Amino acid sequence: MHLSLRRRRRLAPYLLLLPGIAWLVVFFAIPALLQAQLSLTTGTLETGFVFDWNFGVYAEAVSDNSEQLLRSFEYAAIATIAAFVISFPLAYFIAFRAGRWKNLLLLLIVLPFFTSYLVRTIAWKTILVDNGFVADLFRSLGLIAQDGRLDATTFAVIAGITYNFLPFMALPLYVSLEKIDRRLIEAATDLYASRFAAFRKITLPLALPGIFAGTLLTFIPAVGDFVNAQLLGTSNQYMIGNVIQSKFLVLRDYPEAAALSFLLMTVILLAVFLYARVLGTRTLTEAAV
Amino acid sequence: MSDRSIESVIDELLREGRLSRRGFVGRLGAGAFAVSGAAGLLSACGGVQGTGQAGPTATTASHPAQKLTEIDFSNWPLYIDKDSLPEFEREFDVTVNYVDDINDNNEFFGKVREQLQRDQSIDRDIVVLTDFMAARWVTSGYLEPIDKANVPNVEANLIATLRDPAWDPGRNFSAPWQAGMDGLGYNKAETGRELTSFNDIFLPEFKGRVSFLGEWRDSVGLTLQGMGVNTEDATLDDTMAAVEKIDEANASGQIRRFTGNDYTGDLTNGNLAIAVAYSGDVIQLKADNPDLEFLIPEEGGLIWADNMLIPEKAEHPYGAEVLMNYVYEPEIAAQIAAYVNYVTPVEGAQAELEKTDPDLASNQLIFPDEETLAKLHPFPSLSAEEERQVEEAWQQVVGA
Repeated sequence: MHLSLRRRRRLAPYLLLLPGIAWLVVFFAIPALLQAQLSLTTGTLETGFVFDWNFGVYAEAVSDNSEQLLRSFEYAAIATIAAFVISFPLAYFIAFRAGRWKNLLLLLIVLPFFTSYLVRTIAWKTILVDNGFVADLFRSLGLIAQDGRLDATTFAVIAGITYNFLPFMALPLYVSLEKIDRRLIEAATDLYASRFAAFRKITLPLALPGIFAGTLLTFIPAVGDFVNAQLLGTSNQYMIGNVIQSKFLVLRDYPEAAALSFLLMTVILLAVFLYARVLGTRTLTEAAV
Repeated sequence: MSDRSIESVIDELLREGRLSRRGFVGRLGAGAFAVSGAAGLLSACGGVQGTGQAGPTATTASHPAQKLTEIDFSNWPLYIDKDSLPEFEREFDVTVNYVDDINDNNEFFGKVREQLQRDQSIDRDIVVLTDFMAARWVTSGYLEPIDKANVPNVEANLIATLRDPAWDPGRNFSAPWQAGMDGLGYNKAETGRELTSFNDIFLPEFKGRVSFLGEWRDSVGLTLQGMGVNTEDATLDDTMAAVEKIDEANASGQIRRFTGNDYTGDLTNGNLAIAVAYSGDVIQLKADNPDLEFLIPEEGGLIWADNMLIPEKAEHPYGAEVLMNYVYEPEIAAQIAAYVNYVTPVEGAQAELEKTDPDLASNQLIFPDEETLAKLHPFPSLSAEEERQVEEAWQQVVGA
């Protein structure tokens, strides 16, 4: 009795993990494996796809779509930086200065999520319309040519991505800033640190976990996004998500589509790993404690 | 929002939804479908089987009359008026599970391919697919034949031009739902004049202000006609030349974007001067914006039809036939045509519509006469392998 109770105690954490692990295995691990297998097949939908270790498809996938691959990372990087530049002051203000408006402001950040992603993106089409006031303003400021446009441009796509993923940057930043013990900053200023020095030496390092999380939460979905390029861009702005979608659903080139998805996943994993190394996992975990 | 009221914006969004007859929503939903597509792939451990299998085994079927319970009907978004089905349900004491879950032929096929290939039911009694996809389902043996004894109205009222398509001689497996035209939709306020030729879309004065449809059959078909080649006679080389022509126009910045139904928004708000468009869309839009015109180019436009089909292993084939028969009553067909504004395949609908809406009844784009029909051509028809080549070249052009 006593023994079995102890054994049960030891097993309990694993049992608690079981639903999560089962979910991950069924909906991630197995599909990922099957996708890897599918990417190594040859054939067409009419004749069927035969597994034959066709690694060539990876080289083909890269050389056929290098333009869209690079573009995806470029757009996602610019959008992530833009989201950070916009979000940091915002999160800082809410965490340190907003007082009783804090909850309302947070609600306002989340509010756009109450409407559909598609509707929000289509709304941007209306905002950026050729004869709308935004385009007129850009024209009168000389930012675009007199016959230039905002809709269906690179600017529109990156702006759309930035807007759509902004909350994913702002909220983690807010959480990490909010957690900072104000007395540390007071202590720094008591020790004759300038406000800037206190910010640089106390606030910023302590906000690192938020910056890290926000960057990943913005960058990863942004790389794979296809809606913004589809709605706000032209075929010259299409990203790798558009390519994968069309290969799966229109061309039915399953092997190359699977290979591209797999490649994308690998490159993102590598990028995340590198990023974590550069930022320093030690600082991250220490700061989080 | 400058001079645009919130109402007009909301209205536009709604209209985008209302008109999402093809492509647009489909492309967007693709993310979700990609997931379901992937799930389909998963169940096919050890690779994916081919679809190239034997043709249909039987071309006739007998579905004896029985008590109707329910009918599962999959159609395109807002492709029916809101009264016809409730009236049908009352009259026949039956529940119609009407779902507008078909946004794109290819995508819908991608969704149900797995079950069809395994000869399993796709849990639908009627699906509506465009000619080329319907043809594919016939040759692959994915359909249940229609029991002609149950559809006397279809037998009697189907217009002559649609009675004998090459892919389903005698209409053993299909009954047209609606037909429609491809041509140019243009905004007179933006072009400043009436257009006549398809090739106006390539004029430098409209640079960056024209759109093409994302499905090659529509865009390439019209371009072929513009180049003086009838789609019926187009060879692979002709077709590739048309793809090339569109590619050049796109590379030079002439084409603003490739669209599904979403050209409608850009056309009304003045972003676009000219769009490769569907007739029904533009007629619906014209009701709100008189500047919009639909042009059947002098070089020729395209005509296509969407077909009601009974998938194999359907649970209620008799019910499906009763419903098909019902929508082929001229009065009901007129009611649907008045709402969707596409070309109705039902003889006698025009006479019915004359009683309620004489303007619509005389609209050449809804009830084309001989002269108009002579200007319309089918989608290019190539062999499966040639189509694959064109599709691949086309996807390069549209950027994916």
